[in-house]
Amino acid sequence: MIDKELIEECRKGDLRNFRKVVEKASPMVFSIAFRMLEDEDIARDVVQDTMVTIWQKLAKIKTAESFKTWVYRIAVNKCYDQLRKRKQMPEQRYDDQTWEVISNHMSTESVTELENSENAQIISLLTNSLSPKQKAVFILSELEEMPNNEIADITGMKMTAIKANLYHARKHIESLLQKYL
Amino acid sequence: MTTGNDKYKKMIGILRNSKPGLPRPEEMEDEVIRRIRHEKGNTETASGLIEAIFGWVYIGWVRRSLIGAAFILVAVFIYQQASILKQVNNMSKQVVITGIGQGTASSSEFDKKLNIYKISSGLSDDREIKISENQLEEILDSYQDLEEKYKDLLRIIEENPELNKYIEKKLDEGKNNKPDL
Repeated sequence: MIDKELIEECRKGDLRNFRKVVEKASPMVFSIAFRMLEDEDIARDVVQDTMVTIWQKLAKIKTAESFKTWVYRIAVNKCYDQLRKRKQMPEQRYDDQTWEVISNHMSTESVTELENSENAQIISLLTNSLSPKQKAVFILSELEEMPNNEIADITGMKMTAIKANLYHARKHIESLLQKYL
Repeated sequence: MTTGNDKYKKMIGILRNSKPGLPRPEEMEDEVIRRIRHEKGNTETASGLIEAIFGWVYIGWVRRSLIGAAFILVAVFIYQQASILKQVNNMSKQVVITGIGQGTASSSEFDKKLNIYKISSGLSDDREIKISENQLEEILDSYQDLEEKYKDLLRIIEENPELNKYIEKKLDEGKNNKPDL
C-alpha cells in the first residue's frame, strides 16, 4: 500500500511526499471513520485530524512496516473521541424506512452496492446499541476484514476481549435481522 | 426459511461490498496540507518570537557577563547569609529582660541577682535593659565585692550620725555638681 521509502522521505519533512501518503491513506481512514461515525462530514474531519497527527508524530514511528497499524490506531482513537462526544447528543432513530431499505437489498440475489447515506443508515440501525469497543471490533473484523491480531494492535484489546466483543455484536445484529426482516 | 445467521451473512456481504467512498479526495489533500503548513507557520512564528526576545543571550560577551554576574550574585548571597547567621548567633547570646517587678517570685539564682541589681541601682520596672548574661554576672559580682569590702566602713558611718550627715551632704553636693548630659 504505502511504500517504506515514501514514509522515510516524509519523516525527513518532505511535505510533497506526504501529500502522496494522504492520497493513499485517506480512503482507508475514511472507510473506518465513516463506518464508525455514520456521518460523512464528521468522518472527513476525522480523516483530516488523523493525517495532521500522522505528520506531527511521524518521527516517533519506529518502523515503516508498522505504519498502517499506527494510522488505523490514530483513526480509531479519534473515532472513539467523536463517539464519546455523541453520547451527549440525542439518539438518532432509524425506523421502518431503513428496514425497508435493508429488506430491498436483502431480497435481491446479487450483492448490491450501497450509497454512503444508505450505508450510514444501515450501520447506525444495526450498531446503535453496541458499545464503542464492540462497534470498533465489529467494523474492523467484519467489514474491514482484518485479522484479530491486527485488531489487537490497533485497539489495544486482548484477543479474548476482541472475540467476546465480536460475538456480542454478531448476536445482537443477528437478533435484529431475525426480528425485523 | 432463512435463519438469522444467513441474514447476517447476507447483510455483512452487502456492507463489505459497499466500501464508503471518500468524496472530493483532492480537496481533502489540499486541506490537510494547508493545515500542516498553517500549524508549521504558527510554530515558526512562535520560535521566531522567542528568538527575538531571548536571542541576545546567545551573544558571546553577554553570555559570559551573565555567567559572571550570576557568580557574583551567588557570592553576595552566601556572604549575606553568613553575616546574618553570625548576627543571629551574637543576639542569641544576649538576654532581653523587660519589666521584672520587685514582687516577682524569681526561682533562679540569676533572677535573684537581677532583682538585687535593680533594687540597688534604682532601676524602674518599666525600663528595659539589654545586656549579655556574662556582663550582668560580672556587674553583680563586682557590686557584691564592693559591698563586702566596704561593709565595715558602712557600719562606722551608720553608727556615727555626724559622719553620716557629713557624707550625705557631700553626696548631695556631688549630685548637684554633676553636669547635665
